[in-house]
Amino acid sequence: MPAIFPRWTNNIPLAIAILAPIFGAGLVGGVWYYFSPKFTDAGYRPIQPVAFSHKLHAGDMGMDCRYCHNTVERAAHAAIPPTQTCMNCHSQVKTDSPKLAPIRESYESGKSVPWIRVHQLPDYAFFDHRPHLAAGVGCVSCHGRIDQMTVVQMDQPLSMSWCLDCHRNPEPNLRPLDQITNMGWDPATEDYDPKADPARKRALTPPEHCSGCHR
Amino acid sequence: MTRTTATRCLKGSLLGAAVIAGGLLAGCQGNRSDEPPVHLLHNMDFQARFDAQEKNDFFYDVDCPEEAAADDAAAEEAAEHGEHAPHRTKTCYGRAMREPVAGTVARGHLKDDDHLYRGRGADDRLADTLPVQIELNAALLARGEERYNIYCQPCHDYSGNGEGVATQRGGGFKVQPPSYHIDRLRAMPLGYFFKVITDGQGTMLSYASQIPVEDRWAIAVWVRTLQVSRTKGGK
Repeated sequence: MPAIFPRWTNNIPLAIAILAPIFGAGLVGGVWYYFSPKFTDAGYRPIQPVAFSHKLHAGDMGMDCRYCHNTVERAAHAAIPPTQTCMNCHSQVKTDSPKLAPIRESYESGKSVPWIRVHQLPDYAFFDHRPHLAAGVGCVSCHGRIDQMTVVQMDQPLSMSWCLDCHRNPEPNLRPLDQITNMGWDPATEDYDPKADPARKRALTPPEHCSGCHR
Repeated sequence: MTRTTATRCLKGSLLGAAVIAGGLLAGCQGNRSDEPPVHLLHNMDFQARFDAQEKNDFFYDVDCPEEAAADDAAAEEAAEHGEHAPHRTKTCYGRAMREPVAGTVARGHLKDDDHLYRGRGADDRLADTLPVQIELNAALLARGEERYNIYCQPCHDYSGNGEGVATQRGGGFKVQPPSYHIDRLRAMPLGYFFKVITDGQGTMLSYASQIPVEDRWAIAVWVRTLQVSRTKGGK
């Protein structure tokens, strides 16, 4: 009587024993690496309707972040400035630049410039800029070196584990309250102890419970 | 080497190359991309509510009558055929944040205190004093300096000479901002600087929407401080 299974099928258990762990490890590794917001979100760099360079304005010219994003200390949302803020200077400087044509058009018509939002938290995550600024978290901690970006991109993953990393150990990301918008202030080279700062009014206990952010 | 082992070898290396190529195509963490982030649960991430500065197709903005007329016509035509109105055009950027109806005043925003909101005293002349709500102290000066360095310094520079960095680049300003240290501006009352920040002056646009009213007074005080610093402690 001939054999039901040919001889090569003897290798199948061995092949499964070797390949299945490799496949499983590859699957877990792939999900760990590619499904992470570090891969899906960080590095998002949309092409904006006007090629506004933060490197030029905030970096080379040294304008404060709050000149344009002026609501950041007073509201949850750090507002994208209205067109008039551009025109404060660009009614005087580069008034004929074709790159600024959409700005002039918007200023005349009153229609918004359709800027594309870069940093977008999900709607179920509550976020307010004010307590972060009041606690001395600098812009650069979450947004990266905006002053060196010609085109703004997401620097950090803005994921839940990333939020919690800082909420569980905030001190490495805290700075003096007058250095909030200073992108060059590096906690590694500065000797700053937030616990000993008399200007600091908030306790160093950011919420770690669910309803801190999911309200 | 037999033919089968050669084929197997080839197949194996092809498979390996495909895995490596797939990894390379997918890219690395932090790679730049203009593709928006993936939202697996779209209706959780973008819930049916409007946040600050979001778009809202429900509203037209006052400045797009053509789009509004076209959509009204389409809706009318649909109604004649007994159909639902089609979706509105999205070329017109409706804002979720609405402006108040013209001629209305929100509660608590009447701003009837002329000294605080317009910089004018009881005789309707520009006042040379601070409003009663604002106290002159070291904190006010510090606040004024900080806010001045954010909002005014780009054009007027740190010491008020009118040679800020924005006026020096890209061909420069058509009309240079004046120095604060000229007789005309030294003679101006404090309320004048508040009024200029609030309403704009000449080629300078209004900063009323950018700077809250208390900060505008603090900046006015700082401008006066800069002036006094050059006249040896007094006018």
